[in-house]
Amino acid sequence: MKKVIMGNHAVSYGVRASDVKVISAYPITPQTQIVELLSEMCAKGELDAKFIAVESEHSALTACVGASAAGVRTFTATSSQGLLLMHEIIHWAVGGRYPIVLVNVNRAVGPPWSIWTDQNDSLSQRDTGWLQIYCESNQETQDTIVQAFKIAETVKLPVMVVLDAFYLSHTFEIVDILEPEQVRPFLPPYKAEVRIDTASPHSLGNLASPGEYFELRYMIQKAMEESRDVVRDVDREFEKRFGRGYGMVKPYRCDDAEYILVTSGTVASTTRAVIDEMREEGIKIGSLKIRVFRPFPFEDVYQVLSKAKKVGVIDRNISFGHHGIFYQEIKSALYGRTAVPMVGYIAGLGGRDVTPKVIRSIADNLLTNKKPEPDINWIGVKI
Amino acid sequence: MGEKITFKSYKEMPLCAMSIADMTYNLTGSWRNVRPYYDFKISPCRLGCPTAENIQRYIFLVTEGDYEQAWKAIIESNPMPSVTGRVCFHPCMEKCTRKDFDQAINIPAIERAIGDRGLENPSWMKKVPASRKEKIAVIGAGPAGLSAAFYLARRGYPVTIFEADSALGGTLRWGIPEYRLPNNLLDRVIASILESGPITVKAGTSVGRDITLEKLEKEFSAVFIGTGLTKSRSMGVPGEEGRGIEHGLEFLRKVNRGEKVNPGARVVVVGGGNTAMDVARCARRAGSEVTVVYRRTMNEMPAIKDEIEEAEHEGVYFHFLAAPKSIERRGSGPLKVVFQQMKLAQPDESGRRRPVPDGDKTFAMEVDTLFTAIGEEADAAPFGKAIELDGALIRTKNESGETSAKNVFAGGDAVTGAASVVEAIAAGRKAAERIDRMLSGQPEPAVEEPRTISIENINTAYFTKAKRVLAPRITADQALKGYGEIHAGFDDELLHREADRCFSCGVCNFCDNCWVYCPDVAVKRLAAEYEFDYDYCKGCLVCVTECPRSAISTREEGR
Amino acid sequence: MKAVAKIPTSELMTSGHLACQGCGATQAMRFALKALGPKTALVIPACCWSVIDGPFPHTSLKVPILHTAFEAAASTASGLKAGLEMRGDTETVVLAWAGDGGTFDIGIQALSGAAERNEDVIYCCYDNEAYMNTGIQRSSSTPIGAWTTTTPGDHWKRRPKKKMIDIMAAHSIPYIATASVAFPQDLIEKFRKAREYKGTRFLHVFAPCPTGWKLAPELSVAMARQAVTSKVFPLVEITENGKVWKVWKDFEPTPIKDYIMAQGRFRHLKEDELAWVESETERNWQDLLAREARAGCVPGLRAD
Repeated sequence: MKKVIMGNHAVSYGVRASDVKVISAYPITPQTQIVELLSEMCAKGELDAKFIAVESEHSALTACVGASAAGVRTFTATSSQGLLLMHEIIHWAVGGRYPIVLVNVNRAVGPPWSIWTDQNDSLSQRDTGWLQIYCESNQETQDTIVQAFKIAETVKLPVMVVLDAFYLSHTFEIVDILEPEQVRPFLPPYKAEVRIDTASPHSLGNLASPGEYFELRYMIQKAMEESRDVVRDVDREFEKRFGRGYGMVKPYRCDDAEYILVTSGTVASTTRAVIDEMREEGIKIGSLKIRVFRPFPFEDVYQVLSKAKKVGVIDRNISFGHHGIFYQEIKSALYGRTAVPMVGYIAGLGGRDVTPKVIRSIADNLLTNKKPEPDINWIGVKI
Repeated sequence: MGEKITFKSYKEMPLCAMSIADMTYNLTGSWRNVRPYYDFKISPCRLGCPTAENIQRYIFLVTEGDYEQAWKAIIESNPMPSVTGRVCFHPCMEKCTRKDFDQAINIPAIERAIGDRGLENPSWMKKVPASRKEKIAVIGAGPAGLSAAFYLARRGYPVTIFEADSALGGTLRWGIPEYRLPNNLLDRVIASILESGPITVKAGTSVGRDITLEKLEKEFSAVFIGTGLTKSRSMGVPGEEGRGIEHGLEFLRKVNRGEKVNPGARVVVVGGGNTAMDVARCARRAGSEVTVVYRRTMNEMPAIKDEIEEAEHEGVYFHFLAAPKSIERRGSGPLKVVFQQMKLAQPDESGRRRPVPDGDKTFAMEVDTLFTAIGEEADAAPFGKAIELDGALIRTKNESGETSAKNVFAGGDAVTGAASVVEAIAAGRKAAERIDRMLSGQPEPAVEEPRTISIENINTAYFTKAKRVLAPRITADQALKGYGEIHAGFDDELLHREADRCFSCGVCNFCDNCWVYCPDVAVKRLAAEYEFDYDYCKGCLVCVTECPRSAISTREEGR
Repeated sequence: MKAVAKIPTSELMTSGHLACQGCGATQAMRFALKALGPKTALVIPACCWSVIDGPFPHTSLKVPILHTAFEAAASTASGLKAGLEMRGDTETVVLAWAGDGGTFDIGIQALSGAAERNEDVIYCCYDNEAYMNTGIQRSSSTPIGAWTTTTPGDHWKRRPKKKMIDIMAAHSIPYIATASVAFPQDLIEKFRKAREYKGTRFLHVFAPCPTGWKLAPELSVAMARQAVTSKVFPLVEITENGKVWKVWKDFEPTPIKDYIMAQGRFRHLKEDELAWVESETERNWQDLLAREARAGCVPGLRAD
């Protein structure tokens, strides 16, 4: 059934469709509507889950770890300060191989306080071993939640689904709402390989010496590498069943593009409008949305960008002392394979609006920019 | 036990850091510097008992509710607990560690209770057939002789007891009144002993008069003499012979035979031992006013303290530091006895201060009957040709009662002079064991220095102060009405309550503490004992500290 | 051998674990598991027991353990219990097993949150009165007078031990109790009782640490006993959602000096300082008795 709902509620419907059993969350702007609707669904009996209203985000994720260790499907949502508070356990969820799905609404971190969007919070978790999927629409959000559980439970790694604060979380769009009955054939009940069970008692997480720890880490990387195929397979199967597929990356008019703008999140949608406008003007430009950031889609990125003459990366984040993070990662992905020149742009930190005009100015810059690399271009900053 | 698991490849590893085996591969016993081990000591009560009864053991068996095994534990060392539980002077209680915490355990009451239950259950007494060829003669059916006969019969030796009197028991029957030891109870005890093995009794046969020791030496492989003390000592006071003066022992004999006695209104008993107390108490039952006159003070009285107390309760008066000087008779009236006042000077050979006349101080009393109870002597003369004597007593070489004749043994009062029932029982048993070793060609056992404990070795945190449980008793007034027993026996409840107070010094009584407190699960709780698992014991020694009774010792590793 | 053992005989802990000699924490665990039985799932945050249990891939317990982050015992336990119930297992009791650091300090937020929600878990703090696993640093459970590596020399701890059971009582949870490894039958009885309740149950177990207290290992149980009998660590039960307090008084009091001077961590105390510790202990005891009496003033509470 199609309904006009906000991005946050699309998350809730995705969780409901996935027969999640334990939800543990702490309120933080702009995630609150996710858990409010989920609480209501639990109270009404529409969702058969325990809702633990914990007293901090750190506890939210540890409660999810506990529930996942019991062998049930679990979910939490947070943003910014909350995600950072969870950071210790973000690592923990990976080491324990818990297939938790977490929605992070990208919000700038303080001080100063900011409730508007940028990507530093989620990207600061990039080394932890979580898969990360960046969504740009409400429909994609709901669908990605469902896919995320399937991916997580197959590779046995947790998955972070990321939304832009307000631009996605609070924007209303039409969503074809998935019902649990529709989803069940696609996402059967979770069967944990390892769990807390008095019938088969084990101790999880004991001290591992240098003689064992290394291999356990190797196993995580291996799972990450194998997850690329899983992500693709799950997406393909989802598309077959529900008619909607999203891929690891979404190229737009890149086949003959000389210039390609790399984007993520809602900026990707806005960028396509600019691409169309510039194409009208005869400029051979395209855009590439990075949807799955972890595992990094090396091959997809290479395939698309290696044909271009110049690549511009729009980062709504910054790794201080280095560069925008998507810029770095793409650069390293292409290194040694192609020497296509790249230009990095930092835009929209702290929620500053990235309008079509802003993107147009970036694209125009890309066409003429000859500064030596690595060059950071701060778009719109009042210098 | 297993091995520490190592993985050769990540492929062998579980999905995450999950356990797949336990820690028993890790033999933490290697951490140890000092090792604990179960090391039981001899409880001090046992060291205090002349016949070395395993008191701790039988009290423990009582706490387990196993009265039969408790009784059997006593019988190992003493064949008549119903007797000793009533009349013993209980030196065990002086050694009882609990006296340094609250009060000593009421060991005699427990022993009596078990002894009496044994009499109710004759099947507990194993009946032993004759299995040895060697016949043994026992002279005297008092405690020493009965004990010697019992322990020899148990080993299969046919024993013949020669008893001069027509009834058996010696001091037990004739010297101890029925309010302390009922005759029908004594009969049952003696019967249980006689029925336990190949024992024949020749009553009314006096060795010396009817048959000689030399003849017995020829006919029997060994002889044990337990004839006790039968001759009363004289005071050596002018006027001693004649009306109104009687030997205490004679009086007791009459009383124990059931004869009616009438010593008169005013009675004096001279002496300070158990005989004197018993004479005084029997005279009280006959209605007399009784004064015990003793030449030293109460501190020096050899009588059992309990007996002195009971005598006091029964209204016996005591006059100390006095001794008879002269006796006057005037017609058929009361005697006039003059007493010399005494004072205490330097100690004599008994270790007690010697009484000497205190100048000319005297006093006189009108007395209807004066009983002498100043000691008895053995009638050992009939044996003097066959074996060496020591004055009026029989000379022995050692605790086993060996005399100068190879196959003749002796024990009890006839050897030591007036002592006690338990010492006589011990002498009879030790002689029996020695005779058996001699006839079997067995060597003497090595003597080990006994290791015991005291209150410092008890972890008193595990005990709550509690008074000694006393047996129910009748009042002195009720007691004086006849010869019924003064104390009742312990019922099961009182028995358990008092047995539970026993510390079980130095010997494990399965309190579980060591097993409970071991942090390393290194104490195994087996069917009948605990066992240290030295593979894992880290030597923390918590078990040693928390053992309430020092049943665990330590030693350094590698020594 | 006595047929009936003092405590249940089946073992859910094996030998071979890595605890120090005389460790009270292992005695506590052994007793607790005997009380709760095999249908118990443990949640253990960073503490001595994280190491005692043994290295991967081994364990010394016969019940499942979920090791978790330092501050997260109570929240992990909340999630584990929720998950087990949603899986259809309502029998397994979840036992969060944390040290004093993970309870009084870094773990207090999660504990408070879980208690306020009345999560259906048992939370046990085994208290050795400092951060022992990391080498004897002070915690808010360290008692007055104690030396630790972060309260050394003249900076010995003067701040009082946090009153954890008062804090837990303020959360209106159904069952709170203190216990000591020197009184195993009492400890086992309290864990058994706890198992029967629904909601958050908090048990505070006194578990001496010979290593951290500079104490001869063989005295660990004696100290656990004397802590109670010298009123340093009273045995208390709190029911009726924090309102009814019951204090165990049926013991022979022992001098606090004996308790204090047996432990190297206190031996620096001078006469007047020891006297101060003694008076503070007595005052706390009187406060506790007053608290117990207070319940009698509330109508409807307590028949006695």
